[in-house]
Amino acid sequence: MATVVTVTSGKGGVGKTTSSAAIAAGLAKAGHRTVVIDFDVGLRNLDLIMGVERRVVFDFVNVITGEATLNQALIQDKRIDNLSILAASQTKDKDALTEDGVEKVLQELADTGFEYIVCDSPAGIEKGATMALHFADHAIIVTNPEVSSVRDSDRILGILQSKSKRAKEGGKVAEHLLVTRYDPDRVDQGEMLSKEDVCDILAVDLIGVIPESKAVLKASNTGVPVILDAESDAGQAYDDAVARFLGEERPMRFVDLKKRGLLSRMFGGD
Amino acid sequence: MSEQSTQTPRIRANRFSLMTLEWPDGIEDLDAWLQTQCNKAPALMAEIALVLKPPAGIDETAIHRAVGFMRRLNIGLIGLTGDSAHRVIAESLGIAWISGQNVTEPGDAVTVDAVPASVPSIAQAMVVEGPIRSGVQIYAKDRDLVVWGQVSAGAEIMADGHVHVYGRLLGRVAAGVSGGSDAQIFCQQFEPTLVSVAGIYASSEQVPETLWSATVRVGLDASGQTLNYQTHE
Ligand SMILES: Nc1ncnc2c1ncn2[C@@H]1O[C@H](COP(=O)(O)OP(=O)(O)OP(=O)(O)O)[C@@H](O)[C@H]1O
Ligand SMILES: [Mg+2]
Repeated sequence: MATVVTVTSGKGGVGKTTSSAAIAAGLAKAGHRTVVIDFDVGLRNLDLIMGVERRVVFDFVNVITGEATLNQALIQDKRIDNLSILAASQTKDKDALTEDGVEKVLQELADTGFEYIVCDSPAGIEKGATMALHFADHAIIVTNPEVSSVRDSDRILGILQSKSKRAKEGGKVAEHLLVTRYDPDRVDQGEMLSKEDVCDILAVDLIGVIPESKAVLKASNTGVPVILDAESDAGQAYDDAVARFLGEERPMRFVDLKKRGLLSRMFGGD
Repeated sequence: MSEQSTQTPRIRANRFSLMTLEWPDGIEDLDAWLQTQCNKAPALMAEIALVLKPPAGIDETAIHRAVGFMRRLNIGLIGLTGDSAHRVIAESLGIAWISGQNVTEPGDAVTVDAVPASVPSIAQAMVVEGPIRSGVQIYAKDRDLVVWGQVSAGAEIMADGHVHVYGRLLGRVAAGVSGGSDAQIFCQQFEPTLVSVAGIYASSEQVPETLWSATVRVGLDASGQTLNYQTHE
């Protein structure tokens, strides 16, 4: 049975799509057959970040409504064999995402042999977002280190615990916290919450901290998931996060002040 | 709630003043109206216990939207009433369903069938595990409420009896919701958005600064008109 991993946040623009693309690519790179689905009907974005926007003929909604088969709509990534993309429709309205329809597509993806189904949730707490988290086995909560983002993540966690299928059946969705756009300098100056503050407020296990990085913009402009930019800080941080998701233990990187001198690095402990 | 513990369980009328918000048929949403009410009387709208009565046959998504909007405005919505087809919606929203026959006309006695049948006695506290997330409301009717863990900012916990929080309290808390002026709040790490005992309330900036983050107990003073705070040291 496939594992459904929903990337969600409540607040918009915090890095869900960037993270969905990176995590899906990371899981695929680690040898798992993975598909990433864009749930942001009307505002499709994932195909751009994945660099497949010119190959989209049919989309997620077309499959739900039966206008296309799953095979017609799935786009195979050209860089990673194990990875496929299911794009969102730019035109259809959100009501096209029905619970039955989504479940049918997820089931078919599982039957096809996908191990991980990564769902890129839209912002907000309306239909698209609740559909994306309804069937989640795991939820990756993307949060920026600022109060409003943390508050919205808390809200989404509440919805996850009351509205997801697992919760309704008396189970629990596994929750992971991914802090993105982290800037240790600004944390040091008190302009941003520290990762400890965020963990403290949300009380969810931290799966990764992604630094604020120019590599992210560059990656999305060139349509390459940033995790494939192995030289970049953000790429490496996503790589760590995926490894942790798969059960590996890795120390957190890119969370300390950049300006630390050589001596403090040698003698300053971690 | 010790003076009640020797009594046999029973349903009492008149314990509880609930307001019903009647949603007229043919009106698509209540957004504008609610927003005006909240602008006019924010504290009142936050403090009253409200039951929403949507028109029969209205679309489920309209109800979801309205409840979402009310939560965003921090309106104290307790449950739904009216068309019994809406019962499942109340369940999915995590709020009470108040069946029609138990609701009488304004001014008369009101009862709520919100106590689960499995609760053996009126003195049995409701125990929930945190974190209680933003947007979640918990109401222990006729009981004490015990929260094991954190209460997030934007969450709301209420009880007719005492409220105990074994963790950090960031959200709104109300004890003695039906007027029980003996009710108290006990909290391990006290950082509430709003605190209320028997309807007497204080916002976070009214909480004495020395008590912030402390282990605190809150009740009413002898006058019954002012909150009384106590801490260990
Ligand atoms: N670690 C990062 N460093 C710098 N910029 C980032 C980082 N993560 C995301 N961004 C930028 O933030 C913006 C929003 O990212 P993204 O589209 O992934 O967010 P989202 O949560 O999916 O947004 P929406 O809610 O609109 O779907 C983009 O411009 C992206 O390049
Ligand atoms: Mg997005």
